[in-house]
Amino acid sequence: MSIMEYNGGSVVAMVGKNCVAIASDLRLGNQALTIATNFEKVFPVTDRIMLGMAGLASDVLTLRDRFRLLVNMYTIKEEREIEPETFAHLVSSTLYEKRFGPYFIEPIIAGLSKGSNKPFIASTDVIGCINFAKGFVVCGTATDKLFGVAESLWEPDLEPEDLFETISQTLMNAVDRDAFSGWGVVVHVITPEKAFTRYLRARMD
Amino acid sequence: MPHQERRFNPYTENGGTILAIAGEDFTVIAGDTRQSEGYNIQTRYAPKVFRLTDKAVLAVNGFAADGNMFVQKVQQRLEWYAHAHNKPMPLKAIARLIQTMLYAKRFFPYYVYNILGGIEEDGSGAVYSFDPVGSYEREACRAAGAAQSLVQPFLDNQIYFKNQLPPPGGAHPRHLPLNDVLSLVIDSFTGATERHIEVGDGLEIYIVLAPNKSSVELERLPGVKRIQGTFDIAGDASPDVTAAAAAVGVTGEKMFVMRRELKKD
Amino acid sequence: MATADGGAYSYSLTVFSPSGKLVQIEHALARVAQGTTSLGIKATNGIVIATEKKSSSLLMDTSMIEKVCMICPNIGIVYSGMGPDYRVLVSKARKSAQGYWKIYGEYPPTRILVQELATVMQQATQSGGVRPYGVSLLVAGWDLNRGPTLYQVDPSGSFWAWKASAIGKNMINAKTFLEKRYNDDISLEDAIHTALLTLKEGFEGQMTEKTIELGVITVPSEEEIAAGMAVENAGTMRPKPTFRRLTEEEVKDYLAM
Repeated sequence: MSIMEYNGGSVVAMVGKNCVAIASDLRLGNQALTIATNFEKVFPVTDRIMLGMAGLASDVLTLRDRFRLLVNMYTIKEEREIEPETFAHLVSSTLYEKRFGPYFIEPIIAGLSKGSNKPFIASTDVIGCINFAKGFVVCGTATDKLFGVAESLWEPDLEPEDLFETISQTLMNAVDRDAFSGWGVVVHVITPEKAFTRYLRARMD
Repeated sequence: MPHQERRFNPYTENGGTILAIAGEDFTVIAGDTRQSEGYNIQTRYAPKVFRLTDKAVLAVNGFAADGNMFVQKVQQRLEWYAHAHNKPMPLKAIARLIQTMLYAKRFFPYYVYNILGGIEEDGSGAVYSFDPVGSYEREACRAAGAAQSLVQPFLDNQIYFKNQLPPPGGAHPRHLPLNDVLSLVIDSFTGATERHIEVGDGLEIYIVLAPNKSSVELERLPGVKRIQGTFDIAGDASPDVTAAAAAVGVTGEKMFVMRRELKKD
Repeated sequence: MATADGGAYSYSLTVFSPSGKLVQIEHALARVAQGTTSLGIKATNGIVIATEKKSSSLLMDTSMIEKVCMICPNIGIVYSGMGPDYRVLVSKARKSAQGYWKIYGEYPPTRILVQELATVMQQATQSGGVRPYGVSLLVAGWDLNRGPTLYQVDPSGSFWAWKASAIGKNMINAKTFLEKRYNDDISLEDAIHTALLTLKEGFEGQMTEKTIELGVITVPSEEEIAAGMAVENAGTMRPKPTFRRLTEEEVKDYLAM
């Protein structure tokens, strides 16, 4: 059994026109047994950055708290909000610190840069090797399926509502073919003006 | 010290992906043409999709040697049938034959995932998918092979309209038009090629039309070639056999192949 | 108790005198006040830092002395006071900047580096077995957040942001001179000349490219910032440096003007 499949779960993020979206499923499992169906895997970092993590649930929660601490310290010390690129490096170096006894999570970062409102997404592996993708990033037990669907559904310069539809369809159809992910999804879309969150029920099995 | 057993492994996995989609009066069966072993590409053109009869096409994926041998054996059985009954074997009978042949080797299986596509006797498009030991099912669409996990959820969404709401007061269409299906097949393979190292090089799409379906539109598409044939699967039928075929209404002119390049990296 | 020689409190670094002073810090400041003059001026489009370079012997190869140092591509510093202490601080500052880069994938904003340096210097006023650093620093830097900024750091660990400042032997006169000459819309070229003029006040000996050192921060254009960020994100190249230590040739040209 792989530790990455112990709790299950998947996350995906996509770039749109002046916006980004990030979404996760809601299942928390203990191998084949579903424990909870309200386990969100995406967390706010600042008003315009979100962090999603798939993998071992206890590490997801531990790192959520750890990154909250690190970002709070950064904000106080630098007297400014952290930028998405900078946060991605912070995530990377925090994970690489545990190179030989890693946290069992794969993170995804999605956000808008402060000055330019430039959409930014990135993902890393469990030891923090960063992937600055142009269009979309995926992680979790439904990785293969997410790649397959996203590769066909995603296109550049989607407006926020179209991006929402694309990321929702991608995630829902991917997790429907993954026994370790599912039980509804939560989608966050960040635009320069506002951010919104929607819960989708989909197939509950 | 315990005895270390060293044993010959009769199987390998040769990558690649196959896919079939049934329409109302046609079926599309496709496969990429890359054949690999591990990280080594053995050839960029090894067909995985084979014509069985005028109305049946078989796609095989998994262990290439088993696949090729299995196709030969099926073709041989179909030839025997044609000689015995003076007509090609119907699609659903081929499906059952394949099950029997696969299950016959239940304890030393052909390491092959089969997808059979074609036109049923009632003129409808049909896809049958098999596991290596013969479990099978008729479906509207199926992907198998290395990139099955990438392609199948996309097909669920686009063919079965999974997670999509029907238009107000309406319902989702049960079958898609041929052009839409061809686009989906090409998109599926370009997507899979992008993200899976074992998929690529070339794409071979077989299109089987029901007898009453016009092929005019299809023949206008680039890269589409009509496959000449009779129900005689060997393709070298004597003139009187061909005439006999024509007499029973089998014209064998409703099968087409469309070839596309895929990325080679 | 508080006598001219420092009295009973002068040797213990960490004990306040009854008048509320840490006498060792006063001594460190006195050491700075003996050091050669350094100054910095912030302009609209950059910053200049300058110092005079004195050698005790004609035989010394002054071209090998570096008093103006780059800490990271966007920050440079200069000092007055003890050379060896400065060298140690430069090394610590560079390590700090690289440590920041390792975590965040970018070089520190000037203020962060100054805080870090100030903390190092403060700790030397409160730790056992050490003495305060005998230097004051002028730190010039540029960052996306605050633009060009000029800081002064003292042996106590105090630091301030300046529009223009001077430290070392001639600091009183130099500051008076700068107060007269400074205005808010001075250009970098003008600032460099003002810096040289200020150093000239009370300069002993000949001002040449051998006895003057200059460093400049050049504020990058919008296009350069955008390009620099794109390049940096691709992870293939470093951002274009905004700090530069002027060569002897360049100093010579400025002196001739």
